[in-house]
Amino acid sequence: MTNATGLRLAFCGLAWAMLATLTGAGPASAAGFGFQEAPMLAERVAKGELPPVVERLPRTPLIANFEERNRQIGRYGGDMRTLAARARDLRYQSVNAYTRLVGYDHKLRLTPDLVESFENEDNRVITLTLREGHRWSDGAPFTTADFRYYWEDIANNKDLSPSGPSEIYIVDGKQPKIDYLDERRIRYTWTAPNPRFLPALAMPQPLSTFAPGHYLKQFHAKYRDKAELAELAAKAKVRSWATLHNRMDAAYDNSNPDMPVLTAWQVVTPSPATRFVFERNPYFHRVDPEGRQLPYMDRILVDISSGSLFAAKSNAGEVDLMARGLSMNDVPVLKEGERMQGYKTLLWTLARGSAYALYPNLTTNDPVWRKLNRDVRYRRALSAGIDRRILNNALLFGLGTEGNNTIMPQSPLYQDNFRTGFAQYDPRLANELLDEIGLTNRDSSGFRRLPDGRTLEIIVEVDGESSDIIDALQLVTEFWRDIGIKLFVKPQERSILRQRSWAGQTVMVASGGLDNAVPVAQMPPTELAPVRQEHYSWPKWGQWFETQGRSGEEPDSVLPRRLVNLYKAWLRTSDAAESTRIWTEMLALNAEYQFTIGTVGGEMQPIVRAGTIRNIPDKGLYSWEPTALLGVYRVEEFWFDR
Amino acid sequence: MAILIYIARRAVTMALTLLAISALVFFIIKLPPGDFLTNQIAELQAQGDPSAAAKAEFLRAQYALDRPVWEQYLIWMGLWSGPNGISGLLQGDWGWSFEFQRPVNEVVGGALALTLVVNLAVVVFVHLIAIPIAIYSATRQYSLGDYVATFIGYIGLATPNFLLALILLFYLNRWFGISIGGLMDPRYMNEPMSGAKMSSILSHLIAPVIVIGLSGTAAMIRRMRANLLDELQKQYTVTARAKGMRPLPALLKYPFRMALNPFVADIGNLLPHLVSGSVLVSLVLSLPTVGPVLLQSLKTQDQYLAGFILMFVAVLTVVGMLISDLLLATLDPRIRFGKRG
Repeated sequence: MTNATGLRLAFCGLAWAMLATLTGAGPASAAGFGFQEAPMLAERVAKGELPPVVERLPRTPLIANFEERNRQIGRYGGDMRTLAARARDLRYQSVNAYTRLVGYDHKLRLTPDLVESFENEDNRVITLTLREGHRWSDGAPFTTADFRYYWEDIANNKDLSPSGPSEIYIVDGKQPKIDYLDERRIRYTWTAPNPRFLPALAMPQPLSTFAPGHYLKQFHAKYRDKAELAELAAKAKVRSWATLHNRMDAAYDNSNPDMPVLTAWQVVTPSPATRFVFERNPYFHRVDPEGRQLPYMDRILVDISSGSLFAAKSNAGEVDLMARGLSMNDVPVLKEGERMQGYKTLLWTLARGSAYALYPNLTTNDPVWRKLNRDVRYRRALSAGIDRRILNNALLFGLGTEGNNTIMPQSPLYQDNFRTGFAQYDPRLANELLDEIGLTNRDSSGFRRLPDGRTLEIIVEVDGESSDIIDALQLVTEFWRDIGIKLFVKPQERSILRQRSWAGQTVMVASGGLDNAVPVAQMPPTELAPVRQEHYSWPKWGQWFETQGRSGEEPDSVLPRRLVNLYKAWLRTSDAAESTRIWTEMLALNAEYQFTIGTVGGEMQPIVRAGTIRNIPDKGLYSWEPTALLGVYRVEEFWFDR
Repeated sequence: MAILIYIARRAVTMALTLLAISALVFFIIKLPPGDFLTNQIAELQAQGDPSAAAKAEFLRAQYALDRPVWEQYLIWMGLWSGPNGISGLLQGDWGWSFEFQRPVNEVVGGALALTLVVNLAVVVFVHLIAIPIAIYSATRQYSLGDYVATFIGYIGLATPNFLLALILLFYLNRWFGISIGGLMDPRYMNEPMSGAKMSSILSHLIAPVIVIGLSGTAAMIRRMRANLLDELQKQYTVTARAKGMRPLPALLKYPFRMALNPFVADIGNLLPHLVSGSVLVSLVLSLPTVGPVLLQSLKTQDQYLAGFILMFVAVLTVVGMLISDLLLATLDPRIRFGKRG
């Protein structure tokens, strides 16, 4: 499978670039195509601090397709203000800035971004071709040497990566063979297909593949005198050169202003600060259809402020673009300030399987509960005992979608029965199912008893900060009372909740549903099979899979084994039809057997945008994965119309 | 001479108290299962970084988090050889903050100055407002003014201050255009100090000072009023007035001075309060003070940072107590050291 679009785009770009060089380029007329740059950079070029834009861009820049997305050609300039709760959250800027080797576009197709093109032979041999003349933000060339530096001097260096490269690289226990074909081409070869590799490059936090060697070598023991490094480390108050190197290599965290980047903006404020400034990268590789180098906006200003003030600050008109940290509860406050401050509150669809989902722990320690949680009739009864209509109206203004915790209609894999199967409110059926299991003994208040005589009181543990889930649980308590089941809500610190779940101490956990609710078949179905210990329905099975059987418990019944086998089959295949079939079966099994009990999905994510910002769509999908927050909507194409 | 022996004796008990506190603080911080890195791993894994566990294992050894708790405690105190040799609190090495990825003294240092500014302003505010009102309502007991002051005072005591903070922020912004939260308008953040910046900082101090100070003011008015009322009825006051002393000096020179005694005794509490007194409000108002840092570090089990801040507050308390004891003795000759019976 070769990537034709990428090549064609690259070819057009090449033709244009040659044209530009022939005609002397520079700021050409607005109508035709000619490379242009921001006034902010033109000043620096005039002073001789920067080479002209044609020399800064790769020979084949990425020309954004505005027509397909109804975008307007923009004007340069402006500072975009936004908020973050702490300096560590600057990492979400690198998610929003979404610059990847290959990334998803707005239709969630994998397309070349930093690379000019990629070739994929059965997920076994993957060749990436970089853009000729592509440069880091400091002007140094971006070549396969940066990939070699990452692979040989970081990923396979015992001090920097004690456990070696990420497990996504490893297939059947073996690392890929990497050929550096020339300055621009690199080839990864595995002995068996590795379908997780390309999607991993497009993740919100991408798989690491390269690093700016020319900058980082000064902190690497292989390239620098040990004594000098020790001195540097002591000056930075860290204990070894490895820590120093890891600290300087902070592409994702945006915590090192000296580190060269490839993204549209680069952080220029050293920590600590209460306002972090990101400035445009003069070597950024994307241009608009008329040849203006992106981004349009000069700077991004990130103010550090307590999360509880995000809505109030937005209401006071102190942000230009704000999404992460706002939620449905804030909408009244946000709407209230719209007219006075001239901003708009967009409501995007939050791509999550279910706003509130219940996870019965199939691997809990208590044998009585374990037996009950594993009984599909019990799980179906719990699902049938929830009146989702009331939840929807009470908590999501009736805008949500009632049903299971499953994928959304925007995904090509969607089928209606995934959402509706075994998710109808039917308390009579629920009672019948529970009676059939034999839970007929009742205590003095009318609640059912467990087989060993205890009252059937489910302790549902929940992250104390998710106040909306706690509200939902209050309602579920009332619904379940009607089917003779007592629910006790136990909010706690998230980390403690995780620890308890991993140790098998939880009986049931409430949390959000699927993180990636708009998958395509090329994305790994990790959340649907017992392969991760973070999944509250099967932490011990997940542990067992993750550690290759060293800890946790082996799945001991047919269904979980089937799910694991399907997941393994997905890992081995490179056939799109086969991947789709696997996804479909897994989704159907999850709906039919209610491993998680979904309630209402399709909640909204409020996004506050200044009235003058253009090119941001009114409707969109918001999620961590796969949209990388706002990433796939290309923030560098937003501009201020003022 | 007596006073020196007294101070020496107190120093010994102070050191022992601090030792006990340090152990208590450290073990309580370590009580929840896991440590900072386990939380980190979970977060990284949830965001799709599969090599996180291995990375953390490496860090854990580097910061000695893999040793038993008592050993970690001794390393932190500087009584045991850690990965850095013997280097801990006693040697002036305050440890490393995992959350902020910087040494603890750098993290706390910046916030400490601002904390002191805010809380000193509060202390000044409280005294400036409370003392005149208290004198007024004590000398004119059961007058209309006294009732009004009492009423407002009780409202100040009863209002949850974080709620008041939000309301104040909202209306200060609506009516006066003061930006919400923080210690200055965002646009001055990276600028050098100037007149405009200074006035921005002052206007941003209004909300925190009122909010943090209000309940303190109310409490102080009540206490001061009660103390003064006691003193006003004593014979020496009556005598002073009978002898024809003018009312104001007769008030300020004797009864007022005596009524101040409890406040001097309070300095011991005031000192630590300067650092830790405004955690909740700072959080709501998004002030860059020690409060939010402390809360954050406790939540993420950033043990050395949390431990250091708590120890610092403990030291302030112990030192504050000593100072107030010494001051009391100087102010009131009736108080003597170490006399029994």
